[in-house]
Amino acid sequence: MSPKHLSRDTKRFLWIGILPSALLYALFVIWPAINALMYSFTRWDGLSTPVWIGIDNFVNLFKSGSDFVTAIGHNIYLTVVPGSIILTLALFFAWMIHLKVAGSTLFRVTFFFPNVIASVAVALLWVLLYSTTEMGPINNIRQALHMEKVPFLESARLLQSIVPMMVWSATGFYLVLFLAAMENIPVDYYEAAHLDGASPTLQFIRITLPLMWDVLTTGIIFLIVGGLKFFDAVWVMENGRPSPATHTMSSLMYAKVFEEYNVGYGTAIAVLLFVLVLIITRISMRLLKRERLEY
Amino acid sequence: MRGSLLEKLGTLVRTGVLGLWMLGVVLPMFWVLATSLKSTKEVTRSPFGIPDALAHPGAKTFAVIAENYSKAWVGSGFSAYFWNSLKVVSISLALILLLGSMAAYCLSRFEFRGRNAIYNAFVAGLLIPMQLILIPLFFQYADWSDVLTRSFAPIARVLQLGNLTVSLHNSHEGIILIYVAASLPFTIFTLTSFFGTLPGGVREAAMIDGASEARTFFSVMLPLAKPGLITVAIFNFLGLWNEYLFGIVFLADNKLKTLPLGLASISMQAQYKSDFGLMFAGLVITMVPTLVVYLLLQRHLTKGITAGAVKG
Repeated sequence: MSPKHLSRDTKRFLWIGILPSALLYALFVIWPAINALMYSFTRWDGLSTPVWIGIDNFVNLFKSGSDFVTAIGHNIYLTVVPGSIILTLALFFAWMIHLKVAGSTLFRVTFFFPNVIASVAVALLWVLLYSTTEMGPINNIRQALHMEKVPFLESARLLQSIVPMMVWSATGFYLVLFLAAMENIPVDYYEAAHLDGASPTLQFIRITLPLMWDVLTTGIIFLIVGGLKFFDAVWVMENGRPSPATHTMSSLMYAKVFEEYNVGYGTAIAVLLFVLVLIITRISMRLLKRERLEY
Repeated sequence: MRGSLLEKLGTLVRTGVLGLWMLGVVLPMFWVLATSLKSTKEVTRSPFGIPDALAHPGAKTFAVIAENYSKAWVGSGFSAYFWNSLKVVSISLALILLLGSMAAYCLSRFEFRGRNAIYNAFVAGLLIPMQLILIPLFFQYADWSDVLTRSFAPIARVLQLGNLTVSLHNSHEGIILIYVAASLPFTIFTLTSFFGTLPGGVREAAMIDGASEARTFFSVMLPLAKPGLITVAIFNFLGLWNEYLFGIVFLADNKLKTLPLGLASISMQAQYKSDFGLMFAGLVITMVPTLVVYLLLQRHLTKGITAGAVKG
């Protein structure tokens, strides 16, 4: 239908249909996003007049030894370590379910459970699991095995302790994602490979992985973006006061703005986070296009 | 014969490995549930035993369960947190579905000037992290509240309402507006492609029958889009029910807190640290709603992820 043919009724409907969403989106997403860019070039305590300081905030972020450099390192750690474990486990489990097991629906449904629980509740659950009091299960098991109790939640250890929590809570989602991709691959391919005498492992490497490459890339993007934005668990496990040893980009941003009233600097962190998300999505999409196989 | 035996063995081993992981996933959750049925004394005495309330059911042991849950539900305000969550999330969801489906329908089924620009602007929002808009919104809200209060002042004077102050900070309305706006990119993106898959002749047939655009949309197109709406609703529900970062900034007042915020603030308060019964009961109250919704609708959720996976 060309624009000329729209009736008055249709035109009115289009206005009513789009305007409220567009307005809300412009006022509560686009405008603040633009404002964020502007704040990041100022020095501002949130009350007085902002002072334009150019790219100073960004330069300061990357001064060696700054809290931000440490924080971004934590984000990279929380992306790479749990991410690679989650990818491996999710692929492994999805492949096993795909190869046929008893009770596949039960596995699929229960593995997903932790994913729907609030991240705050997951963090608190792990605080209790790691507890050094008499009711902490993990330290109890260690004692039963004649090992020493470990204060898993102290700042120096916290990031390592978050890794199992992330694996526990996220693997189910990626399993469902990957399993769907695997089941979408035509059976003929495997039958042909089977006739040629290819082992299941070889079939996995030669058929499954390449044909689900785009979904795998989607999964990797999710993991990286999630790792870059990581906030909730660090915040809860540190009782709202992360130290430089545990800050991630998001928690540092929060602390800079709402505790140190360094709005420009804090917003610069948010802008950088946004730029990183953009770059990573872009790069991944590029790679995805190159590797995409049609079938 | 040997091949099939080997096959059976393989299935058995795989089922065993997956079963182990399932135990690892489910056991901590059962442990929380079981511990929430114990008194603090019992938690310290036998942290991993079967709760007395289950081993020796009776009025006395049930009183422990009642105490834990009433302490959490009434004493620590989890009932208020629960109702706040329900209010914020259900109003947000209703608005998201209404506004999002209308916009998506218009963008997918009509051609008009600026359509692609509007669609692209919405989809670009998928790449904007919530962190980017958090701080400006905080300061915007202070400014807007002032403007609103000042512009309502004459009206309030005429209507003799006294001093009317409008505040977007520390108000459910304020955070609902953010939640709705921030959920639109995903909702519109998903629903636009969903409306695109619906058969083309349906709208025209309804129009020939004399129905207006609005009527066609609400009584013909929207019911057809139900599967898409359910998928979008589940993902938004889970995301909003569990949302934390915006909550700590915009709902600082304890009376207004949602479940994750309430749970976090109670667990951070030192005096509760030794009250295990309360902690575990609060954790259960927070976990159960999303688990129930998931179990009821998991088929749709899996379908949603699957559709995403197939499209890539």
